[in-house]
Amino acid sequence: MKRDLLAALFIARKDLRTEFRTKEALNAAVSFALVVLVLFSFAFDLERSELYDISGGLLWIIYLFAGSLIVNRSFTREVPNDCLDVLVASPVPAWALFLGKAISSFTLLMVVELVSLPFYGLFNNIIWMKTFWPHFCLMLLATWGITVTGVAFSAVTVNVRLRELMLPVLHYPLLIPLLIGAMEMSTALLRGDAVDNGPNLRLIVVFDAIFTSLSLYLIEFILVT
Amino acid sequence: MREKKIYVLAILGTILMVATMYDILVVMPDEAQQGAIGKMLLVHVPAAFAAFTFYGVAVWNSIKFLIKKDFHADSLAVSNIEVAQVFTLINLVTGSLWGHIIWGIWWTWDFRLTSQFMCFMLYLGYLLMRPAVADATQRATMSAILAILAVADIPLVFFAIRLRDARMQHPSPVLETGKMDPSWWTPFLLMWLVYLLIGGALIMLRLRQETVRREMDSLRRELHAM
Amino acid sequence: MEANELYFFYGYSAAWIIVLAYVFMLVRRGRRIDSELTRLKSLVEDRER
Repeated sequence: MKRDLLAALFIARKDLRTEFRTKEALNAAVSFALVVLVLFSFAFDLERSELYDISGGLLWIIYLFAGSLIVNRSFTREVPNDCLDVLVASPVPAWALFLGKAISSFTLLMVVELVSLPFYGLFNNIIWMKTFWPHFCLMLLATWGITVTGVAFSAVTVNVRLRELMLPVLHYPLLIPLLIGAMEMSTALLRGDAVDNGPNLRLIVVFDAIFTSLSLYLIEFILVT
Repeated sequence: MREKKIYVLAILGTILMVATMYDILVVMPDEAQQGAIGKMLLVHVPAAFAAFTFYGVAVWNSIKFLIKKDFHADSLAVSNIEVAQVFTLINLVTGSLWGHIIWGIWWTWDFRLTSQFMCFMLYLGYLLMRPAVADATQRATMSAILAILAVADIPLVFFAIRLRDARMQHPSPVLETGKMDPSWWTPFLLMWLVYLLIGGALIMLRLRQETVRREMDSLRRELHAM
Repeated sequence: MEANELYFFYGYSAAWIIVLAYVFMLVRRGRRIDSELTRLKSLVEDRER
C-alpha cells in the first residue's frame, strides 16, 4: 500500500515536472481563463452590487472551462509512443496511476485558479481578499471534485473519436451538483452573507467522497480494456 | 419467438392504453383546483416512473457487464437507456405544458424537472459516446462505467437543486404524490403499466438491432481475416 | 376550447407523438442495419467462393 502510494506520488511528480518544464497546458489554461473573463465582462454590463450576485457563478464557470484543458490532457498525454500501454502494463496498480494523475491535474488546476482569481477581482471590482482562506478551502474541495471526475473521463475518452468534444459533453452534466454547491458558497463568501454554508459544504464533500471512491474502483476496468 | 413477444407486449400495452385513456379522459372528473390540466399528472409522473424503472434495469445490466463481460447485458443496457430517454422526454414536455397553464411559464428550475433534465443530459452523453468508440469491448466497458457514474450523480443533483430551491422558491408544477386523490391511484398505476408494456416492446425491438449489430461486427472481422 | 383543456390535449398528444417518433426512428434504423447485414453476408459468401 505504502509502495503504491509512493508510486502514485512518483507519477504525479513526473507529470508536474513535464508540465512545469513546458508549461503548455498551464499557459493555455491561464490564457483561456483570462479570455473568458474578458468576454464575460463585455457580456454582462451590471452594477457592482449586481455583479456580486453572480460572482460565484461566474468564477466557477471560468475555472471549469480552464480546468477542461488541464484534465483533458491527463491521460491523452500518454497516448503518443504507447506510453499509456507501458504504464498500464507496469506493476503500478491502476488506482495508483489514477491517483497520481489526479494529484498532478489538481495541482495544475489550483495554480490556474489562484492565478486567475486576482484578475477576476480586478476586472469585476470584486473584493476577494477578505474571505480568501475560507474561499481557498472551498476551492480545494471543489477543484478536487472537478479533477477526479475529469481525469476519470479523460481515461474513458482516450480512445474515443472527437475526444475534446466528448469530454465536456460527458463531464459537465456530472458536475452540476458540485458546481451548484461551489457557486452558492462562493457567492455567499464574496458577498459576505451571513448564511449557513453547511449544507453546500456537505454536498461538495459527499460528491468528492462518492466520485473519488467510484473512480478509484472503476479505473481498473477503464484502463485494462 | 422474440417477434411474438414484441407483438404481445405492444398489443397488450395498446389495449390497456386505450382503456386507461378512456377512463382518464371521459370517466374521471376534472381536478378540483387545476381543472382538466390536473389530469396531466397521470401522463407526466408515470412517464418519470417508467423512465426510472428502465434506467434502473440499464444500470443493473451495466454492472453485470463489468462483472461477467456478457455482451447481451450491454445490449440490454443501451436499449433500456434509449427507451428511458424517450419517457424522460415525455416527462419533460408534459411538465413544461403543465407548468405553462398553472404558472404561466414554460420552464421552471424546480428540483423535480431539473433532476429529470440532468438525467436526460447525462444519458444523452452516454448515447452520444457509444458511436464514437470503434472497439466493441471498449464501447461496452466505457458505456457501463458512464451509466454507473451517471446513476451515482442523480441523487446528488436532486439534493443540490432541492437545497437551491429551498432558498429560491421556484414554482413547482407537480403535485406531491402524497396529496393525490385515492381514486387516482388506479389510473396512475395503470398508466405506469402501459408505459412499461410499450417500453418493453420498444426495448425488445432495440435489442434485436443490437444483436444484428454484433453479428455485423463479427462478419466484418471475418471479412478482414479473409 | 378552453386553454386548460387544449393544453391537456397537447400533453397527451405530445406523449404519444414522441413514442411514435421513436418507433419510426427504430424502424428506419432497423431497415438500414438489415440491408447492411445482407450486404456483409453476401460479401462473406462471395469471398468464401
